[in-house]
Amino acid sequence: MFHTIKRIIKWSVDYKYRLYLGVVLSFFESIMTVAPIMVTAWALGKVLESYWGRSSLPENIVLLSTGAIIVFIFLRFLFSYGKAVLQESIGYEVAARQRFRLGDILKRVPLGYFAKNSVGDILAGITSELSALELQSMKMVDAVLNGYIQLLAVIVCLAFFSPAIIIIVAVGILISTAALKGISIHSERTASKTNQATEEMSSAAIEYIRGLPIVKSFGQEGVSIDNFRNACRKLKDIHIKIEKGFVPYNCVHLFALRLASIGVVLFCTWQNYNSRMDTTVFLMFVLFSFVIFRSVENINDAAHVLGIVDAAIEHLNELEQADYIDENGKDISPENYDIEFRDVSFGYNQRTVLHDISFSIPQYTTTAIVGASGSGKSTICNLIARFYDVNKGDIYFGNHDVREYKCDSLLKNISMVFQNVYLFRDTIKNNIQFGMANASDEQIIEAAKAARCHDFIMALPEGYETIVGEGGSSLSGGEKQRISIARAILKNAPVIILDEATASIDPENEYLIQEAISALTKDKTIITIAHRLATIESADQILVVDNGAIVQKGTHQQLFEQEGIYKEFIEIREKAEGWRIA
Amino acid sequence: MKKSEKNWFYTLLLYANSCKGKMAVSVFCAVLSVVGGFVPYYSVYQILRFLIAQEMEWEKVVLWGMVGAIGYFMQILFYGISAVLSHISAYVILEEIRLKIAGQLMKAPLGEVMNRRIGYLKNIIVDKVEEVESPLAHMIPELSSNLLLPVVIFVWMALIDWRMGLSILIAPAIAMIPMFFLMKNYSSQYAEYMEANNHVNNVIIEYVEGIEVVKAFNQSSSSYEKFSNAVKSFKDFTLEWFKSSWKTMNLTFSILPTTLLGVLPIGLLLYSKGSISPDNLTMCLILSLSIVSPLMRVTTFFNELKAMEFSVNSAYELMNIANLPDSGKDISLNTVGINVKNVKFSYEAAEEKNVLNGVSFTMPQGSFTALVGPSGGGKSTIARLIARFWDVSSGEIEIGGINIKNISVKQLSELISFVTQDNFLFNCSLKENIRLGNPTASDEEVYEAAKAACCDSFIQKLEHGYDTPAGEAGKQLSGGEKQRIAIARAILKNAPIVILDEATAFTDPQNEAQIQKSIMELSKGKTLLVIAHRLSTIQNADQIVVLKNGDIVDCGKQKELLQRCPLYADMWKAHTRTQNWSVGSKREVQ
Repeated sequence: MFHTIKRIIKWSVDYKYRLYLGVVLSFFESIMTVAPIMVTAWALGKVLESYWGRSSLPENIVLLSTGAIIVFIFLRFLFSYGKAVLQESIGYEVAARQRFRLGDILKRVPLGYFAKNSVGDILAGITSELSALELQSMKMVDAVLNGYIQLLAVIVCLAFFSPAIIIIVAVGILISTAALKGISIHSERTASKTNQATEEMSSAAIEYIRGLPIVKSFGQEGVSIDNFRNACRKLKDIHIKIEKGFVPYNCVHLFALRLASIGVVLFCTWQNYNSRMDTTVFLMFVLFSFVIFRSVENINDAAHVLGIVDAAIEHLNELEQADYIDENGKDISPENYDIEFRDVSFGYNQRTVLHDISFSIPQYTTTAIVGASGSGKSTICNLIARFYDVNKGDIYFGNHDVREYKCDSLLKNISMVFQNVYLFRDTIKNNIQFGMANASDEQIIEAAKAARCHDFIMALPEGYETIVGEGGSSLSGGEKQRISIARAILKNAPVIILDEATASIDPENEYLIQEAISALTKDKTIITIAHRLATIESADQILVVDNGAIVQKGTHQQLFEQEGIYKEFIEIREKAEGWRIA
Repeated sequence: MKKSEKNWFYTLLLYANSCKGKMAVSVFCAVLSVVGGFVPYYSVYQILRFLIAQEMEWEKVVLWGMVGAIGYFMQILFYGISAVLSHISAYVILEEIRLKIAGQLMKAPLGEVMNRRIGYLKNIIVDKVEEVESPLAHMIPELSSNLLLPVVIFVWMALIDWRMGLSILIAPAIAMIPMFFLMKNYSSQYAEYMEANNHVNNVIIEYVEGIEVVKAFNQSSSSYEKFSNAVKSFKDFTLEWFKSSWKTMNLTFSILPTTLLGVLPIGLLLYSKGSISPDNLTMCLILSLSIVSPLMRVTTFFNELKAMEFSVNSAYELMNIANLPDSGKDISLNTVGINVKNVKFSYEAAEEKNVLNGVSFTMPQGSFTALVGPSGGGKSTIARLIARFWDVSSGEIEIGGINIKNISVKQLSELISFVTQDNFLFNCSLKENIRLGNPTASDEEVYEAAKAACCDSFIQKLEHGYDTPAGEAGKQLSGGEKQRIAIARAILKNAPIVILDEATAFTDPQNEAQIQKSIMELSKGKTLLVIAHRLSTIQNADQIVVLKNGDIVDCGKQKELLQRCPLYADMWKAHTRTQNWSVGSKREVQ
């Protein structure tokens, strides 16, 4: 429990002093919370003395006690307000900073980072786990620290009047601490299990929803609902198990403290009975006994929540462990745009994908990369853009090793059109403008025209302000592709990497897309992962990739005359493109 | 929606209904716990009475001390029982809600479900439902018991002296003033907060999912700006909201539990006038102390009410998607020819947004029909209406002369194989994935289907063959191979009607020839409806239906259409032109 508190304090280190000051105010707040009880004890003491006829009731007692309580309420308000101002915002401020930091990390790490940390994992960290932290962390630190500080104050106070009482209190505290320890061990142990079960629940839910059309069209629920049902049951069982483990500890914790408070009452009565304790002090302790351990009692939830918070901090720390790919990069403006691979080997994790690949692409030429899926075509493109670093060999871009560049200064020269078009849930205009941040409206429209998307955009009721992917404005695959090309046109980079769409699009769109692509590729260096015969045939250079090696290199004419993969490939393609049903 | 918003608590009780017994016991134990928690206050009162009467008897004091201890024991024991019971029922109920939502998604029109984003549905099924736990497990037992005690105490004090009864209301009454200001805009501000929260989460999701584009466009700085602005504005909004509520909130929470504010002065006043005995005064003071804890508990819940309302309602919405009406009747059909009669359809209620404005055509049994036309023309909509993803807005779709609404949903699904580009595999073995097409099929039949769909050879190459789990195989299978497994499934199903919605698209060019072969196998002798973009694929169709903007422009064989339908002729021209076109070709394209 305390190591989690330490971790949270470390997490919010820049706000340390506000945090500590908040704890101090919180301590005063709790004193003000019990102060009215003291006033009551004092007044009741006076009442009894007058009742016993020892002294008369002070005349201003009503006014005095009312005034005191009002002052204490006011002070309580001030302290709690001060604590809120100092402390409650810290979680949100630190969480926001960490979100910035993680966002920064994400844009500077190699894409391999995303293989190690799944997108779902990263998202859970930046969204829900940080939310839990921002919401809970400060409250929990306050509850625990303040709980024990108050306890200390109570003990000092009691010891002042009667040292013997400490034994009773100590026994209660010891038992409760042991039980709290039990809670936090239990919850730290189960937190990971819960996370795992929730994870499984999520994937089962996604599988169920994704599979719904299939399940329905085959008229049976069996497979998918079984997984889903199991995941639901597992999650339920784990939660119930957690609760069953938590409750007994919690009961022991609470009962130990309550018994101790009864002990305090009996002890004080005994002292008073033997005239060793003044009636007012006695009344004070007796009334006070109900709230004496409240601050410690409240630690039970904290002990439980802190177990969860600990897991979240752990995970966030893991996410932050990443190497920036361009730590030593320089801003370089290359003198030309030649690209060269020299004996490049590369693999994701253990699996080698490229073996000793060498080739060169002179500037302003078109290179088509062909090969079976999984042969390593996309990997080559990703390496040029330095989404990953090679394991062996070198890649030169404009006579400089790509590792000499800063990521920004390398990518400035490259436009990429991905096969899976990703558009942001933003206006069409902003999606195009993404290619060049400071583009004017005219430039955007010009790029849209070149990419053959101006006409359909204008036909939309909101035009360029249409939000992509909302309600009725869903765009067809071909239209999305053209918007992504407009984005690339606007960027106007000298090197273009093009992953040709394989999913077929209606003929009209397909034609327009190809028009758009030729607008993009004028006087550029083009590297394309090609599937269409026409694209391949007209390339200046064709690289045939098979199992991570370049097996053939040359123009269509040269390669077609050789026996080999290329010739087979072309023959299959010719047949496939002319296929007809029935 | 408006109505259910008001009655969210009612909805909550509705959920709880299935665990009525356990919940009732839990509430009962919670009440016993609160009563037990009151006992020590009464013990202390008794002890003080000895003091007041100045006849302290140690044995009696110890006795009352033990009564107090027993009270605490009761309080904690019953709290434990209540908590365990309420949590068990809460989690059982959550499980039921999840299964119910799942069942409802199954029964709802498929189109309705597919209209919602998967992430959104997952979020509700997993996260939102989880949030209902707190109101179920805590609020129902604890709120009811903690509200009960203050009421009892108030009555008790009022019985001692009605003025004392009123005195305990003073602090809560004063606290109402700042609370009023606190709650005034709470509802709307909470809604705004939820929106801000959703917004920042969406931006984050987008940033992470689109990170490849972000990197490639070298816009790290400005896209990061959108991300950081969202994060910052969420922080600012939240803190602003908090700041505006800190004063009133802390004032409320400072006054509300200080019941002594009213009780002490009034008690003293009454005592000084001789209208209340010191015994009763002490009793009242102790009573007013005893309700502080329950009051604090109640106020904590008060703070969470809004969050609970949101979670309860969002789960409720999904549980109440309208069912697709199911006639439940199996009808014997003589033919499986399809008749589309004057079908109109719109996704929204608004008439002017029709996707189809009165479409009619017939597909005789065993014929081959193709749907072509520009995107957005309504091709996929027709295919989906035939499979009853939605019901038509007006008009009729008949199979074998029977309106599909009168055929049971189960029978309809048996009649149609719907194959799309979406090659989803379930997380079970490949064999079971294929067997989904027909659960009663023998292993031999499964292998047979796999061979027909050209799957056999690549499945055999996997280490565990047909028993390879799809999840593991998923990494090794290409898109085309997955697609062929989906086709094998449909072959095994052997439904008389086959709908191919862009299934001929070449997701995996290298495998295309084999996909084509497997599709031929699947569609042999079936009533076939094909949506294909590459027109060469469907040039031999018995009829080609040309759709544009929800209307049928023309219908006929390829030859006829080339002569009389300019739209089709243009499309055909465009299609043949693209086949001769290339990237980086030096000739300028017009």
